[in-house]
Amino acid sequence: MTKYSLYGKMVLYALLRRRSRMVVALLAVAIGATVLSGLVTLYYDVPRQMGREFRSYGANLLLLPDGDNQVMPEQAVQLAAGSLPQGKVIGMAPYLYDRVLINSQPIMAAGTDFAAVKKVSPYWQITGQWPAPGSGGAVVGAEVAELLRLKPGQTVTITVPGAEQEKKLPVAGIVHTGGSEEDFIFVELPLLQQWLGKPGLVSVAQVSVQAGEGELTAWMQQTAGTGGGITPRLVKQLTQSEGLVLGKLQALVYLVTLIVLLLTLICVATTMMAVVTERRKEIGLKKALGAENRSIVLEFLGEGMVLGGLGGLLGTGCGFYFAQVVSLQVFARPISFQPLIALAAFGAAVAVAGLACLIPVRMATGVEPATVLRGE
Amino acid sequence: MFWRMLQGALVRQRRRMFMMALTIALGVSLTTAMLNVMLDVGDKVNRELKTYGANIMVTPRAASVVKDLYGVEAAGGGNQYLQEADVGKIKTIFWAHNIVTFAPSLAAEAVTPDGQPVTVVGTWFEHYLPLPTGETAVTGIKALKPWWQVEGNWVDDADGQAAMVGSLLAGKLGLRPGDTLAVRLGDGRQPGRFRVAGLFDSGGAEDMQVFIPLKTVQQALHLEGKVGKVEVSALTTPENELARRAAQNPQNLSVAEWETWYCTAYVSAIAYQIEEVVGGARAKPVRQVAESEGAILQKIQLLMLLITVLSLAGSALGISNLLTASIMERSKEIGLLKALGATDGAVALLVLAETLAAGTAGGIAGYFAGLGFAQIIGWSVFGAAVAAKGMVIPLVMVLVALVTLAGSLPAMRMLLVLRPAEVLHGR
Repeated sequence: MTKYSLYGKMVLYALLRRRSRMVVALLAVAIGATVLSGLVTLYYDVPRQMGREFRSYGANLLLLPDGDNQVMPEQAVQLAAGSLPQGKVIGMAPYLYDRVLINSQPIMAAGTDFAAVKKVSPYWQITGQWPAPGSGGAVVGAEVAELLRLKPGQTVTITVPGAEQEKKLPVAGIVHTGGSEEDFIFVELPLLQQWLGKPGLVSVAQVSVQAGEGELTAWMQQTAGTGGGITPRLVKQLTQSEGLVLGKLQALVYLVTLIVLLLTLICVATTMMAVVTERRKEIGLKKALGAENRSIVLEFLGEGMVLGGLGGLLGTGCGFYFAQVVSLQVFARPISFQPLIALAAFGAAVAVAGLACLIPVRMATGVEPATVLRGE
Repeated sequence: MFWRMLQGALVRQRRRMFMMALTIALGVSLTTAMLNVMLDVGDKVNRELKTYGANIMVTPRAASVVKDLYGVEAAGGGNQYLQEADVGKIKTIFWAHNIVTFAPSLAAEAVTPDGQPVTVVGTWFEHYLPLPTGETAVTGIKALKPWWQVEGNWVDDADGQAAMVGSLLAGKLGLRPGDTLAVRLGDGRQPGRFRVAGLFDSGGAEDMQVFIPLKTVQQALHLEGKVGKVEVSALTTPENELARRAAQNPQNLSVAEWETWYCTAYVSAIAYQIEEVVGGARAKPVRQVAESEGAILQKIQLLMLLITVLSLAGSALGISNLLTASIMERSKEIGLLKALGATDGAVALLVLAETLAAGTAGGIAGYFAGLGFAQIIGWSVFGAAVAAKGMVIPLVMVLVALVTLAGSLPAMRMLLVLRPAEVLHGR
């Protein structure tokens, strides 16, 4: 009992008496732990966050009608989308296509849900405004707008083949995408379904899912055959490129983390070593007074671990704060606290501090006390 | 005397000086590596994002108005084409080096012997294009569409009888690589026979099409030297407010704004320059690719910047920590110097000179080590060297000088106020 209380006292006073040096060492360990916990947290979180950014490329999964069917029921689409991993679906935009006449020119019309389109295809550039829900407003592709000389605010008259009646719709906005969307006129889905006499039917559904190619392929195999008249297809251009680029990014962050960690740990170790080397004389004196090598090593190890523990605690907190700031700045989303990473960073700080103490102490205990005490 | 003392300190305290130099070298190498990677990451990631395909579509000006919409025949019918001879000019615009690759194509409706309609696209697969500058550019869809999964081989452009068939169409017609595909192209009486070199899976509309060399389609349609559209993949700068206004109408900008816009690699500026050199063409940015690229690039650059700042702060504190530790360690020696009559200025100068010597040696070693780290990152992640930017050298020098000076300040203050008798007595 007394033996341990003496040990505790020695470690405590060694730290307290040499305050300025210990602050230096503590700071070094804390920096190391900050870098460690901050970067590892980022490394863990970056692919997830970046994966979300990549969804700005638009839908990576298409739901199409089976076989030669032109349309499929909306409910079946909802059902299929519902079986996707929950929380990973960014949005699902249903489309119903058919030809209509505007100024007796044949134009492709698409019925869709504008709120979903905004989520699935964030790259749409709208001149004018998105139509308010339920207002019956239309969005006109840039090519069509140029052809028919339409501007936002004007009214467009649409004739549906088969139905004699003409429909008048306000033009809410013009869409520029540089793709095939510019050749369409978009109206609200229920409206087009009603005109065409196809209630509850859609031609295609674009789904934006935050998942890699492997995950989506697995889902497709799982649901194959049970689709209820639906064939899912991957947009290969997106899924494959995303996997490729994300892989590279992860490798980049991984390597950067590794190199920064390595250098920081060496930095911490050298500082600790410098602080301990200074105390060779003290070691010599203890040995001359009859202390065993083992107990000297144990004492320094204890000191190092106390320092490592304090610095690790401080640094882990700072590191998480740093990762949080980065995540909010870059991705505008908070990061989740990873207890495992915090624990690992704390453990690494204690281990590195302890080891860095041991090396110079080992060297010091190896020499004769007389040599050390005499000074060199 | 000063030099002898300095030399003595450096030689006698080799271990300590070595430690100091090592720490500074570590800090400098970290700084160098991170700065180099950060400055180059935008370019590298931009190239990676090219796997998303073309971000500019060049079509004939007339056709872009009266275009057939999904099988709807356009009124007027007068389809216009681009000149194949003009295609190479894309590589001569102001931002020619940012044009990664491009491929012209000419589509034709064809019929199989049993009456099924198929779309046949003539294009360049891997075309060696001599440029007006005397260089040769390798272009074609092999580079433009790297996500295609090909079963079999790519078509050789010189082999006019080879074809690549989309996976869905091949499934429908029961074709395998090595089979023969017969289709009637244009007004030809005899169906052309093509050897299927490979099948591809693109996951897009191309899966229902047949791709053959451009020349073959031009001959069949009697449209020698004409192409329908050109897909261009270019490295671009993320769009900003100026680029958006320019995209509406470049004529609305002031002269200074116009120059800035023209001389920045915005996707709209590159598209504008393509329209300038290719006669009768209309170049449109593909928003889906262009916008997303910008968003992702900005995020990655910001991320790297913040990581760099953290590692810089880390290495700065590391250096200053070690300096403090190593100077404190020498209080007895300094006390003796002061007892022998050294002035505060002389002591400070000596310590600074020592630190400077160690710092210079460590800094040079660290710079090259950092370049090495940057190359390791570049090669293992992107498979290409990270360009060593010259501006990193002065940046690192200033940073290290500042950090070293700031790091030795608290220690220096301690040395100056220390009393020789106390220190020599051993507290």
